[in-house]
Amino acid sequence: MSARPLAVSLLAVALAFAVSALLIAVAGKNPLVAYGALLQGSLGSWDRIAVALNKATPYLLTGVGVALCFRARVINIGGEGQIALGGLAAAWMAMRFPQAPAVVLPALALGAGALAGALWAGLAAVIRLRRGVHEVLVTLLLNFVGVLIVSEALQGSLGEAGAGFPQSPLLARAAWLPHLIPKTDLHVGIVLAAVTVVVAHFLLWRTPFGFRIRVLGASAPAAAYAGISPPRTFLSVMLLAGGLAGVAGAVEVLGVHYRLIEGFATGFGFNAVGIALLAALNPIAVLPAGLFFGFLETGALAMQRAVGVPSPLVAVIQGLTMVFVLSAMGLTARRRRV
Amino acid sequence: MLRMTGISKSFGAVRANRDIELIVPPRRIVGLLGENGSGKTTLMNILFGMVRPDAGSIEFDGRRLEGHTPREALVAGIGMIHQHFMLVPAMTVTENVMLGWDETGRWLHPAAVAARIQEASAAYGLDLDPDAVVASLPLGAQQRIEIIKAILRGARLLVLDEPTSSLSPPEVSSLLDVLRRLRDEGRAVIFISHKLGEILDVCDEVVVLRDGEVTGRAEVVGVSRQDLARMMVGRDVTAPLGRVSRLPGQERLVVNALTVRDAGGTIRLRGMSFSVRAGEVLALAGVDGNGQAELADVIAGLARPDSGHVFVDGADVTRGGVAARLASGLGHVPADRGTEGLVQEMTVAENLALRDFDTPPLRRGPWLDGPAIRARAVERMAEYDIRAGDAEALVATLSGGNQQKIVLARELGRHPTVLLAVQPTRGLDPGATKFVIERVLALREAGAAVLYISTELEEALAVGDRIGVLHAGRLVGLMPRADADVTRIGLMMAGALAEAPGPAALYGTSPA
Repeated sequence: MSARPLAVSLLAVALAFAVSALLIAVAGKNPLVAYGALLQGSLGSWDRIAVALNKATPYLLTGVGVALCFRARVINIGGEGQIALGGLAAAWMAMRFPQAPAVVLPALALGAGALAGALWAGLAAVIRLRRGVHEVLVTLLLNFVGVLIVSEALQGSLGEAGAGFPQSPLLARAAWLPHLIPKTDLHVGIVLAAVTVVVAHFLLWRTPFGFRIRVLGASAPAAAYAGISPPRTFLSVMLLAGGLAGVAGAVEVLGVHYRLIEGFATGFGFNAVGIALLAALNPIAVLPAGLFFGFLETGALAMQRAVGVPSPLVAVIQGLTMVFVLSAMGLTARRRRV
Repeated sequence: MLRMTGISKSFGAVRANRDIELIVPPRRIVGLLGENGSGKTTLMNILFGMVRPDAGSIEFDGRRLEGHTPREALVAGIGMIHQHFMLVPAMTVTENVMLGWDETGRWLHPAAVAARIQEASAAYGLDLDPDAVVASLPLGAQQRIEIIKAILRGARLLVLDEPTSSLSPPEVSSLLDVLRRLRDEGRAVIFISHKLGEILDVCDEVVVLRDGEVTGRAEVVGVSRQDLARMMVGRDVTAPLGRVSRLPGQERLVVNALTVRDAGGTIRLRGMSFSVRAGEVLALAGVDGNGQAELADVIAGLARPDSGHVFVDGADVTRGGVAARLASGLGHVPADRGTEGLVQEMTVAENLALRDFDTPPLRRGPWLDGPAIRARAVERMAEYDIRAGDAEALVATLSGGNQQKIVLARELGRHPTVLLAVQPTRGLDPGATKFVIERVLALREAGAAVLYISTELEEALAVGDRIGVLHAGRLVGLMPRADADVTRIGLMMAGALAEAPGPAALYGTSPA
């Protein structure tokens, strides 16, 4: 909305890089060289940019859903499990109907992913609403269950015989997401994600549904007074976020790996929470935040190869960015518009 | 022992305390009597060092207390027992007594403390087991823990804020016994209450506060309930506001035999019935916590009654929610405008659309019609004199009066046939109060039925065509404004007098 949160986020990123530079220097390496390699590795060629955009795609899809949830003060941290089941459902669909035409099959598989993610989130929502178990606990624990269901499926009927690693067979070509630019890895997922982000922006700020989300998040008594049903709104926003996370999992399977692999989305759900917070829960700001994470991670390996700075340093930069953003939000604890 | 003189304190435009003098000698129980918002709590917060007075001085045991902290007040020998206990439920009595006590020292000696609790418990008839876990004790016993904490810490003046509000009758009488023993061995007690009976029962002297001023003080021997009630609610009641008197029309809001229990099973409304006619204001007076909130929630569609019905213009809306109430033409000004009536972090325009954003003309197809929302906001802001920078200003940045004007503009702007207004002037300065009441009366002139719930008796008398009195979840009195007698209403509010409303009052008419 205003320029202020943007300035805060940019400052947080700058500070995170500055502190990480100190860490690199302490390790006896030249931070400038390391950051140069990071930049080269993420933006240095069309190939690298394509990889980074692919990387950012599931972050954008999941992050925007988390942002909507947090706006309604629904603390959904179940992205991890919702993504896993979305990927599973997409792979199952692709393996079930390998003869389907090339446009129909990805659409079917994406739909299956969305449905699975939504159901998984819906399960958490129902447990919350019926049994009163807090959604943080339910979504967190269902993550483990979801990831283990994927492993179980790969050990069983979906697994590739004799692969030596828990993964499914390669999916039929018809199921693969079409590429956006020939001769690069860039698939159409990024377009889907970008459109989703823009739609979510309008959904939050221009529709009655978004209005309900904002009122509920700001004050539950005011929501009741306004005739808004908190349980119904809770369920809707969870289903929406779960569906988006499911699509993220499907995109990862159909566009990047072309098969279901154990642990194919490890950490995605939690990164999405970070991205939503970095975006100050503004859907449109999820776009730069998600791209930032995607490019950062893409450059990480290049940095490791070039100067021997371990790639997990990137996680340090992400973590520090979050710490600085949240601190700045805490400092400006004045009432902000919702 | 305690001498507070010339205490004054203002919060914004509200003068909570005006030149108050309070003298408490040793071996005395002094009652502090007053309605909600009369300044009792502010005065005690000043004594305990939680609020700085604007003027005045406090002398305790010959020492001047100035700019002191609650901790210093404690050390000086003032013990405060709050309405809500400050205990850790999962800990034992002994552990709670040791908590935050200097004498506990660096090394804990639970056995020694337990022995002292035993001893004090026996001496004052407190009947406390030092090893009992607080969560397992009834509220009366928890209160006695607070008392023993104060005694062991050497409090020579005990302040009890509404100590009987959550106690059962036998617990109340044993509490009063304890207070008498404390007095007899030389301590002083300030007993804050709005219950006349208890004040007369236990106090030696009573000081009455109203609107932040001392309106009476008397020895309890020789004072009657009537005298106290009169001091509490004021001798002269402001003349009713000028208005067109007219015969009320048909019944628009009917409440029939409403019974409500809270989550703990306690009855909050006991078979309440009344009706409000077109062109009439029914003002319900009563001390806060006597069923007002429950009644308002049921009428507004925010809660369902255990039994009974609510009719708006003849239609039974009991089972419907807020949406059904909105469709039936009910407007609602809630008691808590801060978090219920308004969303502080949203704009004036959005708040003005809070209850009908989902219907045309504010909704167009799947979208909110931003220009329509803004245009209507600008219109309402002019009509209700809402002083905000523009329609996009955050509500949190506005004054209380302007915030309430937003609520009024929204609720009255829909031209309701029935208006439920709950303490609509709470915390407002006189100008804003006048504005609110004028608007409500204008709505009455336009033919709406108004149910006006207030804890300020004078306001109820100024606004209402009929006056009802709530006590302990019952309508204990209902009378036309012309027959309203302040003293009698005061007694009813205090639960000292109840009458079954006769038919003339129930369906009563002709305002004077």
